[in-house]
Amino acid sequence: MGWREAWRWSGLAFQELSLQAIYAFRQGSIAPSVAAHDLVPRAERRVLQGKFVVGATLALLTAGAALLARAGPGVIPGVTIAPGAFSVGVVTGLLSLEVTFLWWTGLQILPTFLSSRILEVLTPLPIDARTFRRVAALLYLRLFDLPVAVVLVGTPVFLGLALGWRAGVAIVPGAIGAVAFALALSLLTGRFFSHRVLGSRGGGGRTAVRWAYLVLWVAPAFALVAFVTAAPAFFGILGPVAAGVPSVGGSLLLAAFPVPFAALVAFVAPTGPGIDLPAVGKLLVLGSVTAYAALAGAAGLWVYESIGEIGALLPGRTRPGPVVRSELRPQRPAWAVMTKDLRLASRTPGFAFLVLLPVLDALALGLLTYVRAASQSAPTLALGAVTAAALLATFFGPAFFAIEVVAYSYGRTLPLAERSVIVGKTTLVASIYLVAGAIVLGLAAVRFPAPIVFAGFVVSELPAVVAAALLELGLLFRWARHRGTPVPNLYSGAWTAFVVTVPGLVIAGLPLAIDAKAGVAAMALVSLAELAVVAPFVLGRRRP
Amino acid sequence: MGAAGPDAIPLAFEGLTVDYGERRAVNGLTLTVRPGEIYGLLGSNGAGKSSALKSTVGLVRPSAGAVRVFGIDAVGDGLGAREAIGYVPESSILYEALTPREFLEFVAGVRRLDPSVASARMRAYADAFQLAEELEEPIATLSNGTRQKVLLTAAFLHLPRLLVLDEPLNSLDPRSVRIVKELLVRYVARDGRGVLFSTHTVEVAAAICHRIGILDEGVLRGEGTLGELRTRVARGDASLEEIFLKLTRGDEGLSDALAQLDGGPDGLA
Repeated sequence: MGWREAWRWSGLAFQELSLQAIYAFRQGSIAPSVAAHDLVPRAERRVLQGKFVVGATLALLTAGAALLARAGPGVIPGVTIAPGAFSVGVVTGLLSLEVTFLWWTGLQILPTFLSSRILEVLTPLPIDARTFRRVAALLYLRLFDLPVAVVLVGTPVFLGLALGWRAGVAIVPGAIGAVAFALALSLLTGRFFSHRVLGSRGGGGRTAVRWAYLVLWVAPAFALVAFVTAAPAFFGILGPVAAGVPSVGGSLLLAAFPVPFAALVAFVAPTGPGIDLPAVGKLLVLGSVTAYAALAGAAGLWVYESIGEIGALLPGRTRPGPVVRSELRPQRPAWAVMTKDLRLASRTPGFAFLVLLPVLDALALGLLTYVRAASQSAPTLALGAVTAAALLATFFGPAFFAIEVVAYSYGRTLPLAERSVIVGKTTLVASIYLVAGAIVLGLAAVRFPAPIVFAGFVVSELPAVVAAALLELGLLFRWARHRGTPVPNLYSGAWTAFVVTVPGLVIAGLPLAIDAKAGVAAMALVSLAELAVVAPFVLGRRRP
Repeated sequence: MGAAGPDAIPLAFEGLTVDYGERRAVNGLTLTVRPGEIYGLLGSNGAGKSSALKSTVGLVRPSAGAVRVFGIDAVGDGLGAREAIGYVPESSILYEALTPREFLEFVAGVRRLDPSVASARMRAYADAFQLAEELEEPIATLSNGTRQKVLLTAAFLHLPRLLVLDEPLNSLDPRSVRIVKELLVRYVARDGRGVLFSTHTVEVAAAICHRIGILDEGVLRGEGTLGELRTRVARGDASLEEIFLKLTRGDEGLSDALAQLDGGPDGLA
């Protein structure tokens, strides 16, 4: 059976995958009341919409980076670097963003791929091993097709338009490398997830270990933020290296992915002075490009060879261990929902990253605040960390709502009021925000000029965070009542999540904007007013 | 099982109709599960059994008709109805990432059970089903039979007044099947409880159900005790399988179908 036939099989498999991604039957959802023949086309349309949202975001990032490379260092305040080195820095950032963005996308959709068990359906069929690998590889590629196309085609086109056609051609190896590494990282972390997280037993200590493992899953999302925050420092290091000042650190930097690919672009399509590497440096760049190209090829081959075993990634039967405790500790319904969500999140990377992101963000920026305590920018950094946590919290509502799709057909049979579910999930969102705020406060309070004001800032924003989560969850449950099924993953839920996140961002963002002009007291008033309006709207009526 | 007021009737379907798009899964179903009764709903695949059962817990919304659980309108007051029901779905898809203990803890929390009572019941069912060693394993790693035991434990956890069981014996080992069958008979004999039990296994229905309803293409073709159903088909010694095939006209063309398979291009015999 050739590639053409494998492509056809993978198309059929992708139909099933789309169906599971949207309607999540294998995760316990139930069929909506629509004509059966319309289910698959609907699912395919919604997956395509999701891919479009992800692809468009990536295209915007790529186009933005290309425009930045063309505009030169003058557009970033405080960056004094030669134009040539600046373009190397921007292209490095772009390729890094592409790798992490694709990796992050993979982490979000891979659990759906695994839980759909689509390859398990194909396994018993009399398909030879080579064809099976081809089908699996093509199916895996179909998950990423639009975002991958944006990287492979969009990057050369946008850079070509911004810096000239030579730059467009020179970036092709870098773009291919970015895709190969991202797909391999997704699969590698997927395997890790299956072995160490999904199959992990219960128990307090193990839960802590599982959360620690899940930090790994946050890495790509955190890297997106880190690149932006670390950009000035990176330019500071890159400047002397590009100008030919020899150093061990500089050599290491030139050899680190994806700097050599960016330097390659600068060599063949110089945007201005600033790249003056000695012969050794140029050799290092070329050698690194060759090595990374070989590594990317090996990564691609590894993905091709390994993806067929993806069915085996599902957790296997483990030998029963000792019973941790034999009594139940039931909680009130809203708390039971919160505990259940936290437990599911601790074994579901797609959800865990959302819980961990603001906490890690607060930890990183809080540490930075502590280190730079003497600096004038410390209070701004601390407040920025809390602001980031508050705004990130607006993404939690859709994420925790998506957890409801898990065992949906069972969960709905319990006498659980919608209000209890919303209150439980909102409490969880507020708790994560408060943990992030407490971390920053704890790290910064020692040297902070007015910790009370800072604490006031955190507390004043809390009602707005609660109001945003309540509104988002209220809207999502309202839609679910009409449409039947919650949104289970990034592709199926991207559009819905986007639509409800906008009002959430407005509600969470308004007090923050007020504070900049009118102070914490006004901020608290606005925040409380928002909650006073939203809470009765969402929780006022009793629904079955 | 004499006459009882509406509030004492565990379950009543009144002209229940369920549609999926243009397809009608249940068509004007009317039946009553009486206090102290195990009612078996027997039907072939796609007959509408699961759809009828799902309407009791709000998983499908009826297009017409009513569902009453101890007099409570299950559509208008879904929460009230679900308080009274213990439900086992047809597919054992649960919170895969939770362990059975965590799952049961969630269910006990939602049902506001006292910790000591919930714990004692969990231990009792876990022991009976030989589940104790697997209480800390992720549900994702459990076999279908073990998941079914977890679901049954969850259904019994609050001692519901009505049990709605959709193919509850699927994947269970013979020992557990025996336990469930005995348990249901004893359980339903107390406090005016009722059980609605769907199956396509005629032996099980014949063994434990007080009355049996035969559903075919969404329509109730007949109901009653085994004796009443025998009278209906005018054969005093008919087995339930024969009654089922007769009432659903499943026996029509049965010989032809077998002959066709046997005499097909490859021949079975």
